[in-house]
Amino acid sequence: MELGYTYSQAMTEAARCLLCHEPPCSAGCPANTDPGKFIRQLRFSNLKGAIATMYRNNILAASCGVLCPTCTLCASGCTAKGLDRPIDIGGLQRFLAEHSWEIGFSPLEAGAPNGQKVAVVGSGPAGLMCASELVQQGFAVTIFERLEKPGGVLRHLLPEHRLSAVFFDREVKMLADLGVEFKCNETIAGRAGLDELLAAGYGAVYLATGAWEAMRLNLPGGEAGGVKGAIGFLARSKSDPGAVTAEVKGKQVAVIGGGDTAMDVAVTAQRFGAQDVYVLYRRSYGQMPGDPEEKLEVMQEGIHFVMLTQPLGYESANGQVTGVKVLRTRLGEPDFSGRRTPEAIPGTEHVLPADVVVEAVGLKPGKGLKGFEGLQVDTSGRVIVSEAGETDIANVFAGGDAVRGAALISHAIGDGTKAAKAIVNSLQGGE
Amino acid sequence: MPVTKDLSIEMCGVRFPNPVCLSSSPVSNTGEMVGRSFDAGFGGVAFKTIGKGDIKIIHPAPRMAGYDYGNKKLVGLQNVEQISDRPLDHNLKDIQYLKKNWPDHVVIASIMGFSNDEWRELAIACEEAGADMLELNFSCPHMTVEGSGMKVGQAFDLVEKFSATVKAAVKIPVLAKMTPNVTDITEPALSAKKGGADGLAAINTVLGLTGVDMRQFIPSPNVGGMGAYSGYSGPAVKPIGLRAIAQLAQHPELGLPISGMGGIETWIDAVEYLLLGSTTLQITSGVIHYGYRIVEDILEGISYFMEEHGFDNVSDFVGKALPNVVSTDNFDLSRQGIAEYNLDRCIGCGQCHVVCQDAGGQCLTWDEGKRLPVMDESRCLACMICSFVCPVSKPPMITYKEIPGKPEVMPTPSE
Repeated sequence: MELGYTYSQAMTEAARCLLCHEPPCSAGCPANTDPGKFIRQLRFSNLKGAIATMYRNNILAASCGVLCPTCTLCASGCTAKGLDRPIDIGGLQRFLAEHSWEIGFSPLEAGAPNGQKVAVVGSGPAGLMCASELVQQGFAVTIFERLEKPGGVLRHLLPEHRLSAVFFDREVKMLADLGVEFKCNETIAGRAGLDELLAAGYGAVYLATGAWEAMRLNLPGGEAGGVKGAIGFLARSKSDPGAVTAEVKGKQVAVIGGGDTAMDVAVTAQRFGAQDVYVLYRRSYGQMPGDPEEKLEVMQEGIHFVMLTQPLGYESANGQVTGVKVLRTRLGEPDFSGRRTPEAIPGTEHVLPADVVVEAVGLKPGKGLKGFEGLQVDTSGRVIVSEAGETDIANVFAGGDAVRGAALISHAIGDGTKAAKAIVNSLQGGE
Repeated sequence: MPVTKDLSIEMCGVRFPNPVCLSSSPVSNTGEMVGRSFDAGFGGVAFKTIGKGDIKIIHPAPRMAGYDYGNKKLVGLQNVEQISDRPLDHNLKDIQYLKKNWPDHVVIASIMGFSNDEWRELAIACEEAGADMLELNFSCPHMTVEGSGMKVGQAFDLVEKFSATVKAAVKIPVLAKMTPNVTDITEPALSAKKGGADGLAAINTVLGLTGVDMRQFIPSPNVGGMGAYSGYSGPAVKPIGLRAIAQLAQHPELGLPISGMGGIETWIDAVEYLLLGSTTLQITSGVIHYGYRIVEDILEGISYFMEEHGFDNVSDFVGKALPNVVSTDNFDLSRQGIAEYNLDRCIGCGQCHVVCQDAGGQCLTWDEGKRLPVMDESRCLACMICSFVCPVSKPPMITYKEIPGKPEVMPTPSE
């Protein structure tokens, strides 16, 4: 990760803020973070107040500050754009978090114990946020995490250059300090596992198990060695870096896809020593769904962007992939998402040589919560819940990527808060 | 060289190549420094105040503190620096050095005696060393030597006495440097005139206290755990300086030329001081912040200003704004107006609405959907605070517009 703002840099940026009446930034955060207020507090040297405001609705404010595509969220309505450029809200948020660690100030306090227990399954942003909200209201919260450390996608898939482990650990530590109990290497297996939790005295269970299945293209020749899915590749890069180095060093790597995951895969391959990394995308640069700033940085890193290129299948020799069969596309009419649809240009088939191909075309909950008898899931494995986050099983709630499919961190945070409120209402007989 | 105009000007019979001088301070501490400032473009110097040396001068440490506003550094500067701590003969040699190498530049020797005899002896020594003028330091507000500096400037009879002593001893012109830390700056100025002073220099620093440390509760600068009221300068004091210059320039019985100073950084500041009656100008804080190089932009700016207005000499516009400076009882209160908005350029921050509600006439409501202020002109006080906070400027989005016949606006009783 690059360094964050110093104190004086942060104050300089905060001084650019126009301190809007009814700030549009505060209306633009899916996690209900309140930048209009915390930037004003920073501007008037009320740093502790700013930190408290920031963490009030967002236990992962630091990570959000680093990861959120603010230009499409809070900063999209920033009135400073009318003068020059929007305020760097993410940068200020990260500064406040780092400042809180530096001065040893945590604005959050556990509530007086109310004697009730809640179990959270999964420790990504949605689970952590739900736990934070509940522990502050006096619930005893236990988080069950199937992997060895908490954090979900943020810890296990995001490359170190996007979010450093040291940085993330400090943020998670705030939750541990609040008294949230972490039980790692604990898998809640199926409906029976859920029932066990409920029987063990947990008044409610929040399922925040994420979207951990990489979608695949299932193209001809895809069974060749060297054709991989994004999740395995990114997870190995963190858990077993030596293996990924062996996979890509000196090789031609093709990455298929145009989202944030594809960008992460491409940069990871480059940094692990790939000779050349090609991002293959069937639409054009403007249609790539990733964070615009992230895309620019990736391009500047020397990744080759091969746009308007549709993969058709793989060529291989001796069971190992040697290239991606592609053809050129052009953009046609807009589809349901408003993006123009790529159309094949006949006769443009050719082969792009590649020793390694990573398909980064989306993540879904997949098998995750299938088999939890009584839970309704859609074809992608997404849990179907009420507006408040209730599932069809009494006292069981769900949110985050398990419900949405792969989405932005701030949406998961918003889900966690919403579910916590629903759980409080359910357990304490609110409205 | 973009300075196309002749910027020279005469004060008390001495010709300055241009009106912009260093003031007596750390920026004019040595001959070598001042020489470089002349090469950079300064037209003269009030050399760092020279003392006799019989009482040893030691500068407190640290001797200055910066005053910042938000992210803007050095809006003001606090200092407890004393007069020159150097031996008298070193300072005199530096005056000789400057006059030898820059004979056309003006060297004003600033002096401070701790007795009547010292004033006389210092004046004679500096005249003999070649100084073109003298400036009597009646105004340093934080001398560690009791009864000196500003304490003299606040005792008007001493101002007259020491001015007379110096005038009787030398032939070169004598300026009295005035402190703003009095009720009426024209009173000590009249005393200086009575003593024979040929001109005035103003303002010396404003007695101030820039801040208090939040952990130890010690004012800044923290001199060994203590702070003191002391000299405050820089852009933050410019309005006080301009007021003092205008008061001195307008006083019917004074009629003395003035070397003006207080927060000058740009040609605009410089021209304002000239328009309000300064004949020459002096600068310290601007140099402490940015170095001697700022003089180039001040001189070029004055030259372009003169081109735009058709002035051939700086003296053509010295005091030109003074007829427009009146006491408030001269205002025509029948002329009222409103704040006029060009909403095509509004970026929707709503700061105008906030301040109008909390500090103005509550004439602006807020259209949440359009993110635009909605003005009820009948309630506008024309206080213009909305225009002060509006970030859309150059040209401003909100301007004052006179409305002939508009009655003054008064709030109605609260219900």
